[in-house]
Amino acid sequence: MLIRMADAGKTFRVWRRKEGFKGFFANFVAREWTQVTALANVNLEIRRGEFVGLIGANGAGKTTLIKCVSGITPVSSGSATLFGVDSFALGDGEKRRLALVMGQRSQLWWDLPAIDSFRLLREIYSIPRDVFERRVEEAAKRLVVTEKLQRQLRQLSLGERMKMEIIGAFLHEPDVVFLDEPTIGLDLVSRETIRRYLVELNRERGATIVLTSHDMEDIEETCRRLVILRQGRVLFDGDLVGLKARVYDRRSIEVHLEPSSRTWDESLAPRLAPLGATLERSAPLTLLFSVPAANVQTFVPLLFELFQIRDLAIERHPLELLIRQIFQSGQAPAQLSSGEPKA
Amino acid sequence: MSGAAVPSALVRDLRLLVVALVYELRKVTTWRAGFVVRELMRGMWRPVVMIFVYATILVQPTDRLGSYDFRGLVAYLILAASFEKLLFHQRGLDLSDQIFQGYVTKYLTMPLRFFVLALARFAQHVLIQGGVVVLLWSAGALLLPQWWPQPASALALVEAALLVLLGSYCYFLTCFLVNALAFWLDVVWTLSAMTSFVFSFCAGVLVPVSVMPAALRDTLQWLFPYWAVNAPAEVFLGRLGHADFLRGIVVLGLTAVVLELVRQVLWRRGLARYVGAGM
Ligand SMILES: Nc1ncnc2c1ncn2[C@@H]1O[C@H](COP(=O)(O)OP(=O)(O)OP(=O)(O)O)[C@@H](O)[C@H]1O
Ligand SMILES: [Mg+2]
Repeated sequence: MLIRMADAGKTFRVWRRKEGFKGFFANFVAREWTQVTALANVNLEIRRGEFVGLIGANGAGKTTLIKCVSGITPVSSGSATLFGVDSFALGDGEKRRLALVMGQRSQLWWDLPAIDSFRLLREIYSIPRDVFERRVEEAAKRLVVTEKLQRQLRQLSLGERMKMEIIGAFLHEPDVVFLDEPTIGLDLVSRETIRRYLVELNRERGATIVLTSHDMEDIEETCRRLVILRQGRVLFDGDLVGLKARVYDRRSIEVHLEPSSRTWDESLAPRLAPLGATLERSAPLTLLFSVPAANVQTFVPLLFELFQIRDLAIERHPLELLIRQIFQSGQAPAQLSSGEPKA
Repeated sequence: MSGAAVPSALVRDLRLLVVALVYELRKVTTWRAGFVVRELMRGMWRPVVMIFVYATILVQPTDRLGSYDFRGLVAYLILAASFEKLLFHQRGLDLSDQIFQGYVTKYLTMPLRFFVLALARFAQHVLIQGGVVVLLWSAGALLLPQWWPQPASALALVEAALLVLLGSYCYFLTCFLVNALAFWLDVVWTLSAMTSFVFSFCAGVLVPVSVMPAALRDTLQWLFPYWAVNAPAEVFLGRLGHADFLRGIVVLGLTAVVLELVRQVLWRRGLARYVGAGM
């Protein structure tokens, strides 16, 4: 087991500010300290080669979890281990197999061109020179930043910088990589490039990757396993493919009717039932149906039979809807009502 | 226009002033240790130090300062200024910022000893400032040969250089320690400024330690700053001999060992409570 958290908890001590004039002095002389629980009873095991998406609302504890597992800060209770060693006591041997990318904090040296930072990393991780040259060249080509290698980091755009961060993080071919919001603020193409790069590295090199992002597309297109945190607790931990199947096995069909067409009435309901289709919404000239993906082929001709159709659109139920529902309800998917998420 | 509803510009300014004042007061008192250091202790060191400076001057006969005449004093000041330039400088280390802003986190997952990076800073400083001092020194010796101090002997020059270098290293360790307090405090800048001022007094940059009142002089001779600037200057001029040099090496060596131990403990403790701000 590469990563293991057992009953891990993390609390921070903060003081509560009192309001008002009296509070002003009270704040200074006698502070009232309280505990903030960032993580509570987290049990998590991650195996070699997994690609895990870590999601949760703001303040759910994603970054804290990464900090605890990667050894930046110790857990307050329970344990966190990486490569079988207590995370906060990693030796150089373990650190050599680890990389961390923080979208918010540069891992590279701000005043140096990226290539110089990479050379410093080469020294830190003792990478042979020829291997190093090859890796930089290859990675820069894949992420399309070869031209920018010589430019001072502070003069790069956010996206270019992130690509450099990612190149830097993978130079020593780590076994485990933590990425905390690596795609924050990136354009669509850059995001796509970075995702593809990560997936390839995971597949080709078997690198274990833990990724947090607020962009569900990042997660959907890269991860196989999803961990959802809510208020410091693991709310869901399971197969993303399974979860996807639950939402992806249905399609939304939006139908726009000609003014001359017949409209919806209850007598039509029995015709839909055999196909497992339901009417989700109806407006005078617009109808929204939900149908199992497998029945779309037979359902669409039926629609043309019943109505005079001006336009028709078929879409997948986005995973995001389900996730939003999970965040809001605080219930794991298994406990969710079997009904499909509605817009 | 409904003039009655909107208060006049003056009233609005006054209200904003009051609210902003409360806000400023709150900010100042957010960090308690910071408040004590920054608001209470700042500026207190200079008068204390200057009292000693004037005490030194006032006990002197009129045209001399201890064993120094004016010419000797100029030579001393040139040397002290040069050596102080060679010394590591607080500003050379932006460690406290890195700690406070959370930039140190990146090193915590890398297989390296962070201190080595700081050492590189020190080495850079020694090289650059060494070059600069040699340049300035040569220019001065060419332009003002009658005022410029000459080394008492080649050995004196080497001994002085060794003392300065070791003293500079001790000062670098001190800077590192003060900066590492950023794990706990927000006022490292103020502390740094205080440290460097007190240091320059103890080092004899303002007045040679040897002309200070006896009790003070005897105390300062046990502290490393004296051996980093004042003593090397006097070794250079031949006012101090070989035995003094050896004593200096011992004091500096012991100081370096103690500072290094404290540094290791402080760094470890700091990391244990570090959370890496703002991520
Ligand atoms: N240094 C700290 N001191 C006190 N509380 C903290 C500290 N760091 C984090 N917290 C609290 O711990 C909780 C988890 O924070 P964390 O940064 O892990 O959230 P996150 O899931 O990464 O959120 P985001 O999506 O906004 O990045 C939050 O409630 C936060 O306020
Ligand atoms: Mg975060």
